[in-house]
Amino acid sequence: MNLAFGLYLVLNTAAVLLIAPLFVSIIKKVKAWAQGRSGPSVFQTYLTLAKLLKKETVYSSHSSWVMRLTPYVSIAAVLVAALFVPLVFVPEPVGGIGNIILLLYLLALARFFMALAGLDAGSSFGGMGSSREMSISAIIEPTTIIVFAALVFVFKSLNVFDMFAASAAAGAPATPTLILLGISLFIILVVETSRIPVDNPETHLELTMIHEGMILEQSGKNLALMELSAAVKLTLLMALLINLIVPFGLTTTLAIGTIAVATVLFVLKATVLAGIIGLFESSMAKMRFFRLPSLFAMAFFFSTLIIIIEVFA
Amino acid sequence: MIDPALVQSVIRILFAVVIVTAAYIISTRNLISLVSVYALQSLTLVLMALALWSLEGATVLLAIAAVTFVSKVLIIPYFIASIQERIRIRRDIEFHFLSPTTSLLLSMALILFIYIALANILEGTPARESLFFFGAVIGLSLMLMGMMVTFSRKRAITKVLGYLSMENGVLLFGMFVTELPFIIEFLIIIDLVILVMLTTILTVGLDSTLEEYHQRLHRFHLVGDTEDGP
Amino acid sequence: MILAAFVLVAAAALAAIALGRTHRQMNSACIAEAAIFLVLSVWLILSSQIPMTSLAIGNEFFFIDHLGLYEVLIATVIFLLAAVYARGYVENLIEARELSRGSLKLFYGAWAFLLLVIVLAFFSDNLALFWIFTELTTVISAMLVAILYARDNIDAAIKYIFIASVSMLFSFVGLIFLFEISRSVVGTGTLNWTVLMQQAGSFPPGMVIAAFALIFIGFAAKSGIFPFHTWLPEAHVRAPSAVSAILSGVLLNVGIYGIIRVFAIVHRTTAVSTVSLLLLVFGLLTVFIAALSMLPQKKLKKLIAFSSVENMGILLIGLAVATPLALFWVLFHVMAHAFTKAGLFFSAGILHRQYHSTLSPDAVDDMRDVFTLQPVAAWGIVLGGLAITGMPLFPIFLSKFFLLVQLAGFSPVALVILLVLLFIAAGAFGYFVIRTFTQVSGSGAHAEIVRYQTPAGMNLPVIVLLVLTLILGTVITSGEVAFLNQIVAELMF
Repeated sequence: MNLAFGLYLVLNTAAVLLIAPLFVSIIKKVKAWAQGRSGPSVFQTYLTLAKLLKKETVYSSHSSWVMRLTPYVSIAAVLVAALFVPLVFVPEPVGGIGNIILLLYLLALARFFMALAGLDAGSSFGGMGSSREMSISAIIEPTTIIVFAALVFVFKSLNVFDMFAASAAAGAPATPTLILLGISLFIILVVETSRIPVDNPETHLELTMIHEGMILEQSGKNLALMELSAAVKLTLLMALLINLIVPFGLTTTLAIGTIAVATVLFVLKATVLAGIIGLFESSMAKMRFFRLPSLFAMAFFFSTLIIIIEVFA
Repeated sequence: MIDPALVQSVIRILFAVVIVTAAYIISTRNLISLVSVYALQSLTLVLMALALWSLEGATVLLAIAAVTFVSKVLIIPYFIASIQERIRIRRDIEFHFLSPTTSLLLSMALILFIYIALANILEGTPARESLFFFGAVIGLSLMLMGMMVTFSRKRAITKVLGYLSMENGVLLFGMFVTELPFIIEFLIIIDLVILVMLTTILTVGLDSTLEEYHQRLHRFHLVGDTEDGP
Repeated sequence: MILAAFVLVAAAALAAIALGRTHRQMNSACIAEAAIFLVLSVWLILSSQIPMTSLAIGNEFFFIDHLGLYEVLIATVIFLLAAVYARGYVENLIEARELSRGSLKLFYGAWAFLLLVIVLAFFSDNLALFWIFTELTTVISAMLVAILYARDNIDAAIKYIFIASVSMLFSFVGLIFLFEISRSVVGTGTLNWTVLMQQAGSFPPGMVIAAFALIFIGFAAKSGIFPFHTWLPEAHVRAPSAVSAILSGVLLNVGIYGIIRVFAIVHRTTAVSTVSLLLLVFGLLTVFIAALSMLPQKKLKKLIAFSSVENMGILLIGLAVATPLALFWVLFHVMAHAFTKAGLFFSAGILHRQYHSTLSPDAVDDMRDVFTLQPVAAWGIVLGGLAITGMPLFPIFLSKFFLLVQLAGFSPVALVILLVLLFIAAGAFGYFVIRTFTQVSGSGAHAEIVRYQTPAGMNLPVIVLLVLTLILGTVITSGEVAFLNQIVAELMF
């Protein structure tokens, strides 16, 4: 393990933790504007997290160790996954780090524990949320795999680091495959982070909530960790999309100047993407549960098309 | 003269846009956005014709672009939108045979099939060249995807849009495989306009409210199956 | 010049319809148009040298040869008789309030225009031009189907438009292929049939098969070939009977005509054996489906419509044989079928006027005392039924017989299958006629049914067509034979 990689480990994790809540707030802000409200400040999520960290944690008397363990598993899995997705600086990968299939299953691990915790407290909403979440993830699974397979076909590597390095070297060649890939990744992003056509992150309306239903029983510090891991997940999926489709600024050399430029560019691009997500959410109505497959089929279709193009042409 | 490599990459991006619009037309249930997406698709074809013109310099392409723009980007979408206003249908949620998801999965298989079939048929002709070959494949795929829309939707007005999207596919195919005389392209568009007018006018009859139909049916002594009204 | 004459006559007819105030005036305009067209085409046959490839107007795009003229002749005869028939028929539709007086102008305008478009289609040399005219015939005839402003009619028309137009787009892709073939072989692409026929020898077979298969889809849909036949029964049943006769007698021919033309090109290449097989298979399937659909049929017009499907299948099989003699009898069958079928639809129309109050959309046709109430129509159906099933003395007997003889040399298995299917179809027709027409109500009930006073103009076309088919079936003149042989020679078989 060289110095650059060690530095990367520390800085990347710190950066993700630091900026993740910002994008959640930006999406909220954009949605508020679209609805004609002024909305909360963009730093509101930081304040909420700080407040929650000070609060007492209350456990239901029916809950078991799963409830206590879940927040830590969740944040740990997501943070390890975040290591796989460099934000601004791509070092040489060391060991098995950066494997895209491992990335997928780290996210699945967090989700699995979240669903367990939803069931654990014994509240009916938690069970409902968990069952829905698991149905959706069962449906989205093949699509996600195909999208990632398309990524692998396009960049000829299973490693996220190699993909980023390749796309950074190529600059921003707007090829048709990248456009299709962008759409597929965007759909995956929306589904994985429980955004509007699939789930509504802002409501605790019992009939529709999925993600919120599962963390309904969490409180205090644990809730803060759950919220933070959701934010980190959002950020890392956004980083994946950004660094593959619009990679300009992404650097592979360790120098203060380029990294500073890359950071500024990344924050700008991510802000724009957060804005797009917010507008997308505002323009859509939540889909009926049984109609979701047609959304996934779209991503599936485009990814398969990419694979066909890559194999035959 | 513009750099040919740049033009080619622009055309490739436009291909992607065409495929995205086709997938959207297959799967959406919102009629209003359907019309605007169709207009977008036609606009993409116009841009493609212009790009090809800058590559080849055939004035036919310029004329095709102009006619396509006037008819398919402006007149037909406007006409259909005004008809939609009148029949007050916003959503098309009924499907025969195929649900949007199945259609999407099916169209994937179709694209693959067309690719292989065309690769065999066009072997050894000038159209086998990469860019033009892709144009042909995407043209035919767009056509078959449009056909699926035509056959899987129940509302006549969505069927019309499927047909229009098919016709776009034919235009794309013709543009990339060969150079048809302009007069023929022009006459096809005339035919298209007539067909669209007629079918949409009939649609007004078909999709108008149940009460009007009851009146007509009573007048004609034809009271029969009226329970499957719109 | 001659084309300009056709266009001018049609324009005059359209103007007369636009200015006409009464139903009779508009109808007379249509009759006059068809009559003048008939005179013009007979004059063309007698006087000019055909094929005419250099016309004063529309050079390069139009030409006149024996096949086109032959089809035009059939079309104008049927249009003339249908227009005479429509005079009484449409009047009755208006009285029964099934057609509003306001739609009359549209109806006759479309009628007159349809005839012109069909004539121009048959005179088109350029295949793309032919394609466009064929598309227009779909649109216009769909308008004629939808003119009865009932929901079922609009449904049938929309189904017709979509099936035919969607398939025709495939044809267009096929034409693009053909264009590309001729461009890659000769250098300058063309879609002119006459030029393509000369070049055809050097076409690569693979692409020709693809082109033919695609073109076939569209024209097969136009002529009601399985699996694109589904629009046909509905449109024929829903349309006013005068229009049904045109749909069956003329518009199906347009599709078959396109297939014949393109097949003639294919016949000059090495791809012919594959394409023949394709035609044979689709022909047999079509006859199969039609025969089985006829068997349980309880509605007269639907039965006649499916019989059209069956005959189109026979035509395809005849084409598949691809010998000069088979082509000769295919052409003869086209004419024989058109005239017989028009007569059947005219008779069915009279019966529908008689019984329309008792006919419900879904139930069995309930026709009582046919022979006393409507003797002409009843005999029209009986004799027409005998004709269409191929009894001797009628022309279809000749064409079916000789086509079967030709088929025996091509594929004995297909012959056996076809024979069985033809027996089924004939049996279905006979069963329907015997069951329906022998219904006689008791003496007391007789007064309930009011006799529909059939105008002479409606009975006349039926009688004329019956006499015409009898003449065609018993007398074959040398001029007729020479004319048909001329067509076969021009198609280079």
